[in-house]
Amino acid sequence: MVGMQLRGFALVIGLLLLWELSVRSGVVRSESWPAVSTILQALVTGFKLGGWGEVFGSSLYRMALGFLLAALAGVMLGLVLGASALLHRIAMPTLEIFRVLPSPAIVPPLIFLLGVDDALKVTVIAIAAFFPILLNTIAGVKAADPVHLLVARTFRVPRRRILLGVQLPSALPYVFAGCRISLGIALIVTVVTEMIAGSAGVGYYIVSMQYAMRASEMYAAIILLSAIGYLLNRLFLALERRSLRWAHGLERQAAHG
Amino acid sequence: MAELLEIERVGKTFGAPAEAIVAIRSVDLSVAKGEFVSIVGPSGCGKSTLLQIVAGLVPASAGEVRLEGQAVTAPPTGVVYLFQQYSRSLLPWLSVEKNVRFGFSHARSLSPREAEERCVHYLDMVGLADFRRRYPWELSGGMQQRVAIARALAAEPRMLLLDEPFSSVDALTRLELHGLILELWHKTGLTILLVTHDVEEAVYLSDRIALLTRRPAQVAEVFANALPRPRKPVESREDPRFLELRHELLTRLLQPA
Repeated sequence: MVGMQLRGFALVIGLLLLWELSVRSGVVRSESWPAVSTILQALVTGFKLGGWGEVFGSSLYRMALGFLLAALAGVMLGLVLGASALLHRIAMPTLEIFRVLPSPAIVPPLIFLLGVDDALKVTVIAIAAFFPILLNTIAGVKAADPVHLLVARTFRVPRRRILLGVQLPSALPYVFAGCRISLGIALIVTVVTEMIAGSAGVGYYIVSMQYAMRASEMYAAIILLSAIGYLLNRLFLALERRSLRWAHGLERQAAHG
Repeated sequence: MAELLEIERVGKTFGAPAEAIVAIRSVDLSVAKGEFVSIVGPSGCGKSTLLQIVAGLVPASAGEVRLEGQAVTAPPTGVVYLFQQYSRSLLPWLSVEKNVRFGFSHARSLSPREAEERCVHYLDMVGLADFRRRYPWELSGGMQQRVAIARALAAEPRMLLLDEPFSSVDALTRLELHGLILELWHKTGLTILLVTHDVEEAVYLSDRIALLTRRPAQVAEVFANALPRPRKPVESREDPRFLELRHELLTRLLQPA
């Protein structure tokens, strides 16, 4: 497993070396195509001056806030809509109409309501990240084993406890899958909103550097962004594995039994 | 003897009136307090449906089920249904102990200490006290069904409804579970209604056996079981009274429609 990953990273390093070579050999000569070593220098300088903390800190803060709001709302509403066929039928057309809207399209109208600061960005991030979590939670609640629900009924478990103690845990693998999709979406939308409106964060930074023709700083920010996105996903996968130990155990049992 | 359970002209039809399938024509049966009664019938005759009607999990289309004179319309207190599929009836995200606790914790307000003591008590009865921190999917099929039995008993019901609970474990484990259930029945003074297609199981365990016809089901005959107690796994099965009843039941079951 570790060996496989190292081999995978070898390709990343190889591609970066090719990039370096393309500049050093003189094949590509352009202000907008700096060598990897130059970008890394910009990256290190940024760390030394503490600039990345500011650039990424504000972005990650908005992203985390938007994502958490989305997760909270998505899971709660998903539980209710998954458990009640009637509410599901009533709410779904409205939700579908909102879901298909590309999130950048709702930025201009929301600027009227929320201005261009954090409130706007967090709202847009939350809306975009909300739907995968919602839809997955609904699917997860519906996928609960009917035998589990009958067991809860024969023990006269109250409705609310069935929802939280049986249907929510049953939905958890789906919830995690939805959250992982939404985490990626949240990062994308964070950067996009910062590019459209605002004066802070990594999206704003990348655009500014491009306007200022400072390609090294621009690429440095992009590389860092990619690294952060990768790490977030890995962290989330680790959390998911810990929380869903029972689901994996169940799969193993099914495979052996 | 006082009748605990009365099943009176219970019928069940599925589907729209025009193309309705009659699963149960009309079943009459009563079970006295402390009695062990089995319902035997060919596969697909509707005996599990009948048991679910008794459990209040499925509404009857006709007739009435009464528990101590009260009509059953929803799962009544003190009646627990034990499912055939142990691997689906235990909640995989809960430890063995928490699964047992799931059956009673909402019913009475017990201190955490009392709740734990009760779990250990009933897990001890089925010989699994040492496994209480394990997860269901870490246990063998027979052990899982014993956890399900402990969970049912921990709810301290008056009546246990068993839906072919021994049919998906291996033959030796089945004999062990037979012994266990008889021992627990003897100790707790429970009333047990068992549904099975295994004639030997029914004869070995019960006081009376109701033979159902093919679908649409009705009671063909109720047999009193003269096999003396305590029942012994080897000797009882060689007893002429065991063989005679088994012969009668099997012959009737195998009769062409």
